[in-house]
Amino acid sequence: MAWIDVASAEEVTEGEVRGVKARDHLVALYRIDGRVYATSNVCTHENALLSEGAVEKGEVECPLHLTRFRISDGTCLGPYGTDLACYRAREVGARVQVQIADEESR
Amino acid sequence: MFLKTFWYAAAWSNEIEHSLFARTICNEPMILYRTQAGNVVCMEDRCCHRRLPLHMGRLIGDSVQCHYHGLIFEPQGRCVKVPGQELIPPSAQLRTFAAAERHGLVWVFLGPKDLADEAKIPDYHWITDSNWGAKGTHFNVKANYMLIVENLLDLTHLAFVHASTIGNAAVVESAAVQFKRGPDSVDVVRRMTNCAPPPTYVKAGGFTGNIDRWQYINFMPPGFVRLETGGRDAGKEADPSAKNITLRNLNIITPESETSSHYFWAQCHDFDVKNQALTDMLFDDVNAAFRQDVDVFEAQQQSIAGRPDAPEVDVHGDIGGLHARRIIRELIERQLAGG
Repeated sequence: MAWIDVASAEEVTEGEVRGVKARDHLVALYRIDGRVYATSNVCTHENALLSEGAVEKGEVECPLHLTRFRISDGTCLGPYGTDLACYRAREVGARVQVQIADEESR
Repeated sequence: MFLKTFWYAAAWSNEIEHSLFARTICNEPMILYRTQAGNVVCMEDRCCHRRLPLHMGRLIGDSVQCHYHGLIFEPQGRCVKVPGQELIPPSAQLRTFAAAERHGLVWVFLGPKDLADEAKIPDYHWITDSNWGAKGTHFNVKANYMLIVENLLDLTHLAFVHASTIGNAAVVESAAVQFKRGPDSVDVVRRMTNCAPPPTYVKAGGFTGNIDRWQYINFMPPGFVRLETGGRDAGKEADPSAKNITLRNLNIITPESETSSHYFWAQCHDFDVKNQALTDMLFDDVNAAFRQDVDVFEAQQQSIAGRPDAPEVDVHGDIGGLHARRIIRELIERQLAGG
């Protein structure tokens, strides 16, 4: 497992979602109550990018069909799709890093 | 099912004269005409006696006479004469619609007249504002109005349908796009930096190098889509002397039936506004492009009619159009619930 530098801490703000790439993984970053979270940026329904969606009350909403996912653990709250992959995320100084399994493929 | 408590554009003002003009709006056949004093009258295009369309009749002064048995209706819709009898049935009354003129268009309100608030006519002032050059037209399109709305909310099609006029590959591949849904509106912002100007922009703006390009798209129900588009010498956002142009493409889409629409639109420009040749050139280019769109809408509608239950897949460009569909669906649900 490797920690990959993906963004500056100030780019990840409350109430927003930021899409980044970690190696070949499409990752969405969030900040909730000060803490940084990371999930897959790809909706499990039709592969829309969640970074074009909306964040509210700890949930991210897909821009296309409004499926919602709990950001803290990726739980799919419907109406479409399945649970979302999550990544461990941390802040190191002014940077945000996410942990990617070496052999894992997207 | 159509939204009833909205203003719809029925005609360009200059289409309505002191003569009977027939147009169907949201499945309601209507006649429109101007009284001798110049006020616009709008009433159902159906005699309340034996239902002949009234547009086959004639005007007598400011009243309408049916072609069939000669009943005469005054502008408020009340029957004032039944030839051959003295008394008039009290229920001999045509439905009339509230009408207003604004922004060079005649608007009619489909709901009860006491709800017809002219302040709710959307802002299209650029069409008649002397600070802008403008030219518009009307298409009768054999396609549902939402196909037109969705087309305007997803401009990635410019690169494919309109490569010869207002589009190029930069429009789809290098645009930064933001979507914003309001309670009853959708905004799409598309920005393309340092891209080649499309042919129309070169002709209108005289650009010689790359430009930064923007497209702001605003949708309001039922069928109002207002675009601001423009370009500026690339990288010169802060330079007031940089070459730049702003255009307004204004679309007012009125359903005729579930499978046909009245598509009113105008192209406006904020530079060299008295130059009629420029106004004509911009209009002609967009007109050529929009006729390409009409071919697409009508082919879509035929394809849909052939198999209405065929599935559709949504892609990223559809975010704005899907928001618009949801707004319409919610408003229809509210209307059905009596709200």
